[in-house]
Amino acid sequence: MTLLPEAIGLLAFIILLVILMAGIPIGASLALVGTLGLALLLTPEAALIKVGVIAFDTVTRYELGVLPLFMLMAQLCFAAGASGDFFGLAAKLIGHKRGGLGVASIGGCAGFGAISGSSLATVATVSAVALPEMRRQGYHPGFAAGALAAGGTLGSLIPPSGALIVFGIIAEQSIGKIFAAAVIPGITQALFYIAAVLIMVRWKPELAPPGPRATWRERGAAALRITDISLLVLFVVGGLILGWFTPTEAASVGCVGGLVILAVRRKFTLPALSNALFETLRTTGMIYTIVIGAIVFSTFVSVTGIPDHMIDLVHSVGASPTMAIIVMAVMLLLLGSFLDGLALMLLMTPILLPVVHSLGLSPIWFGIFLVRTMEIGFVHPPLGFNVYVIHAQAKDISLGSIFRGVIPFLVSDFFHLAMLIAFPITVLWLPSLQG
Amino acid sequence: GRPDPNVTALTYASPYSATHPFSRADIVWMKWIEEQTGGKVRIHPHWGGHLLSSNENMLEIRHGVSDIGMITPMYARSAHVQRIQPSFYSGIGDIQQQVAVYRCLAEEFPAINGEVKGVRILAVQGGNFPGILTRDKPIRTLADLKGLRLRAQADTADVLRALGADPINMSMAEVYPAMAKGVIDGVVAPADALRAVHLADVGKYFSTLKIPRGAYPGRAMSLIAWNQLSPEYQAIFTRGEKIWEDAMVRELEAALISGHAYAREAGIEEIAIAPGEQERFDALYRANAFRISRHLEAFGVDGNAIAQRAAQLIERGVPAGCGVPK
Amino acid sequence: MDNTDEAPESLSRAQRFLIFTGSVGLIGAMATDALAVLGRHTGFAVVGSIEIFQVALVVALSSAILMVSLMNRHATVDLIVGRASGRTKSMLAQIGRVALAITFGLLAFGSIWVAFDLWPTTEMTELLAIRLAPFRMIWITACTLAALHFAVAFVKGLRK
Ligand code: NA
Ligand code: NA
Repeated sequence: MTLLPEAIGLLAFIILLVILMAGIPIGASLALVGTLGLALLLTPEAALIKVGVIAFDTVTRYELGVLPLFMLMAQLCFAAGASGDFFGLAAKLIGHKRGGLGVASIGGCAGFGAISGSSLATVATVSAVALPEMRRQGYHPGFAAGALAAGGTLGSLIPPSGALIVFGIIAEQSIGKIFAAAVIPGITQALFYIAAVLIMVRWKPELAPPGPRATWRERGAAALRITDISLLVLFVVGGLILGWFTPTEAASVGCVGGLVILAVRRKFTLPALSNALFETLRTTGMIYTIVIGAIVFSTFVSVTGIPDHMIDLVHSVGASPTMAIIVMAVMLLLLGSFLDGLALMLLMTPILLPVVHSLGLSPIWFGIFLVRTMEIGFVHPPLGFNVYVIHAQAKDISLGSIFRGVIPFLVSDFFHLAMLIAFPITVLWLPSLQG
Repeated sequence: GRPDPNVTALTYASPYSATHPFSRADIVWMKWIEEQTGGKVRIHPHWGGHLLSSNENMLEIRHGVSDIGMITPMYARSAHVQRIQPSFYSGIGDIQQQVAVYRCLAEEFPAINGEVKGVRILAVQGGNFPGILTRDKPIRTLADLKGLRLRAQADTADVLRALGADPINMSMAEVYPAMAKGVIDGVVAPADALRAVHLADVGKYFSTLKIPRGAYPGRAMSLIAWNQLSPEYQAIFTRGEKIWEDAMVRELEAALISGHAYAREAGIEEIAIAPGEQERFDALYRANAFRISRHLEAFGVDGNAIAQRAAQLIERGVPAGCGVPK
Repeated sequence: MDNTDEAPESLSRAQRFLIFTGSVGLIGAMATDALAVLGRHTGFAVVGSIEIFQVALVVALSSAILMVSLMNRHATVDLIVGRASGRTKSMLAQIGRVALAITFGLLAFGSIWVAFDLWPTTEMTELLAIRLAPFRMIWITACTLAALHFAVAFVKGLRK
């Protein structure tokens, strides 16, 4: 019996979903299904050679080197004690207002997101500082945790972003342009969250009582603490967006800056350095295994011809780009309720990107849309990773309570997503200035 | 539908989209093959993907990742003669001549084909002469190159460096933003590339300094697939080499005309280089070619002999019958 | 192979070694690129900086992937597994080990085949003529050891 390539592709996709949900490591699932599929569609020899080529290509790929280096930069900034500083400043400035610490949490996540490339790292780090502070001030625990779980997702939209880098590599788009494209969506997402906090507080004042007012001296001290790292971030991400250096160079310069800050803050010790390197290597090893698997799988997907059929389907039903985008968003949100973000993105990019091209949509816009949609999956049940991270830190706040606390932010997420779809200019304006 | 057992189906992979000039030539060739074999050989194209990698495409075809595909042997870190020989074409004329010289060299020097083992070459590819597109400063003499940071491929980098320029190798996709922001001052590229990358928005001057351009084997079939073809079909593919190469010439010429038209419409100033300056450049280029040809000695190849012969073929013309597809 | 009485120290020693080699690779890549930027803005050229970066990256990533493997820290989607019973959990963990062993086995095998095919050609980088074979060997070694690690872990899991 010979199966058509499309049937093999569909079958492979289902098998992949099943084994991913059975807890088979993501990288192994992608690589195994991809290799097996290639062996069936080509020959076992061709599949093995292709896997060998992809593996070494991936580990020698200059542009992908930006990923571990941005992670190292973030780790060095953490080692310098940057974790709570952004929140600290915002809390000192507006903590005395009703809901002020909630707004400060969002601000802290946005600031930290400009150092960290990941949503999980952002939520874990900022909530370690902000959650106890909010609870001490009498915040409703579910509301406080919800704000942080949602705020954490700013980490993977505000540049630098590991998810956007990986998308750029798979979709072959300029990472500088993608980062530029993410700036306005990142900032507006934070503003939408702040609006959500303020509306909730106005509706239910007991959620977030005001705290003591900080003195200007305390505020000045807090501002001073973030100056060096803010300048570094501005230089690195700004220089990258302005085209002073390539993404990989920006990350390298950022690491050197991180080392300097470490030295200036008198925290340049061997344990601090080796811990930063260890954490970087650990995350890097995990992500690269997934990326290799994803590239093998995406090669297989392209051989099945499924993307071409998707394009034909979209054209034959005469779907408008907006209709297609909405269908894609619904599909991604559904899949996102039981798949983790990176796996989802790596799975769907090879299938959806050709459709996006054929509809005449910008792949850069699509990257932002994809990461934005995927982030929503980080906070919505049942598999909201960020929610689990916070739950692990504060076991006394129930998962249900956090998920309920997230609801206002999910509502704001849908408005924000709708804005990105209705006004692509919010995404494409900054990169268009880059030329 | 179910595959017909009487039809040989072959896959074809190219990193270019179906509308690229290269792909249009590919399609002409595919139709010709199908017509000549009465539809008994069908070629299924796979456009724009990564079925074949940019460095190891020969290796991949050799092992059947795709039956046929576009190859770029000068990017393979294992093909030393292929990497260096495109620098040997100083003084060369049009694309047909580039192809003829390569074919003759490949016939006379086994080392050239030794690096493309396991595959059957189906077409040799040349290209239009690159010029230099700059942002702020027109290049009228070679002295104008001094201090300019230019995107250039490795085969031109040495000469540009000797002239005081600062050549850097970056992906063509990054050229536009890099030029827009002044990270680089210009790019070495043929006029046909200007439109594709919208370079008129970021460059003002196009100097038609003729930078030599060599040919290389550009399309290949795995021997696994080749050996399964009947001698009759093999003969058709052999005749097809000319079809493919001619189609490529037509497409590249059309692309060049369109590139120049684009440059005119967009207001790019085309600058001719004085003949004396061109000669000086050619001399430098030639000297560099002979210098790097010696690098091949380390691999047991007499690179100097290949470079000498190339110069001779360019000067006196390719003898009749040399390098004709067999 | 009998690894049942493997001392925990030896693993941590291996880990420390990998942190060291990985760090050397990472810092090497970082320094090369940072120097190249500095050079570009102050007027000297680091010829072949990308090539140095690439080989440094191989060392860093081979170490990182092997280290994560030895620590059994590959990412999973644990929506269902997280809620499964102990017995189901350990069975799925066993399947996960087999999957990882096969995956790294395939990566190693494919990489060996490619390296073997290119071996006679003296593969090297363009500008600095850095031989690639040793770096292919490093990568292959990392994949092979990771595959062996998961195979051993699977066998150990069977005995429990
Ligand atoms: Na970020
Ligand atoms: Na999710």
